[in-house]
Amino acid sequence: MATIERLAAQKRDEIGTTACRRLRRNGQIPANVFGHQQDPVAVKIVADDLRPIIHGRAHVVDLNIDGAVEKALIREVAWDTYGKYVRHVDFLRVSEDERVTASVPLQFVGTPVGLQNGGIMEQPLHAVEVECLAIAIPDVFKVRVNELDVDDSLSVSDIKDIPEGVTILDPPESVIVQVVPAPTEEELEAELEEEGAVPAEPELITRESDEDEEESSSDD
Amino acid sequence: MALMPKRVKHRKSQRGRIRGDATRGNTVAFGEFGLQSTQPGHISAATIEACRIAANQYIRGDGKLYIRIFPNKSVTARPLETRQGKGKGEPDHWVAVVRPGTVLFEIAGASKEAARDCFHRVAHKLPVKVRLIERRPVA
Repeated sequence: MATIERLAAQKRDEIGTTACRRLRRNGQIPANVFGHQQDPVAVKIVADDLRPIIHGRAHVVDLNIDGAVEKALIREVAWDTYGKYVRHVDFLRVSEDERVTASVPLQFVGTPVGLQNGGIMEQPLHAVEVECLAIAIPDVFKVRVNELDVDDSLSVSDIKDIPEGVTILDPPESVIVQVVPAPTEEELEAELEEEGAVPAEPELITRESDEDEEESSSDD
Repeated sequence: MALMPKRVKHRKSQRGRIRGDATRGNTVAFGEFGLQSTQPGHISAATIEACRIAANQYIRGDGKLYIRIFPNKSVTARPLETRQGKGKGEPDHWVAVVRPGTVLFEIAGASKEAARDCFHRVAHKLPVKVRLIERRPVA
């Protein structure tokens, strides 16, 4: 759980695409604050102030809007196409005793034994959804994987060291990491030969072919 | 054998223009590292296949490759030594339309150095400039 950082914001009257572009050119980021059944507030933030907070994996900030401080959860961050600059941020007003849902990334510790035995580590889930107090969202869940052999897997229920009051919302049987055997030379060659049987041109979707499909489905 | 759709509505398509940046398919979704295009372009099925073979030969057994693009646009061509006219040519090959920002390939289960070396080999085969990207922090 990261310390709660302070972030200064100013109310903005400039609304719309052109105004937001102008803000971004001047090193500011447009943002919105909503929640707690209050009216949403359009604010602007200095980009250099926000960057360390985003990269420090902070979830909740003390948002200082023109002198009034309130706790806010970083609900959504919109990035530019190349993932270099933040374009917009959504803040959700929260109180200290409020339970919220958030995504917590998984971090794997150690090297699986299966990698030395010809396996590949696959990670179907990179983050899990949790429900907890807004000020107690964990930064990361550390999972030890060094005992995983080929064909072994870990699921959500295998995540240890879950802080008190934190509930994982993902199904317990969902696989988070598995070590599968690497494809052999024969399998790779067979895959290439199998793909060679594809026809030269794709089938054309016509009205007749659609009717044929409907007839065959009605026969069933 | 190169990739192409199983069924299509029309055999031939107009060339079109590639405008703007990718607003979809521009993040790393399956693996830890991705190869992102920084230019617009058409990538043919044969090129994708060549990239797949080059990448698999390098990372064999050390990771998994994901192909994030699919050639769903047909490109027609006229036979050699024929006169102009007589209508549009026949479908010749299939291409994937790539906008700046599109993630072309991803690698899972490999180190950053291995992913960089692998994508370096792949980049030589591509008609667009590319860059290595990592998964974004969870908001």
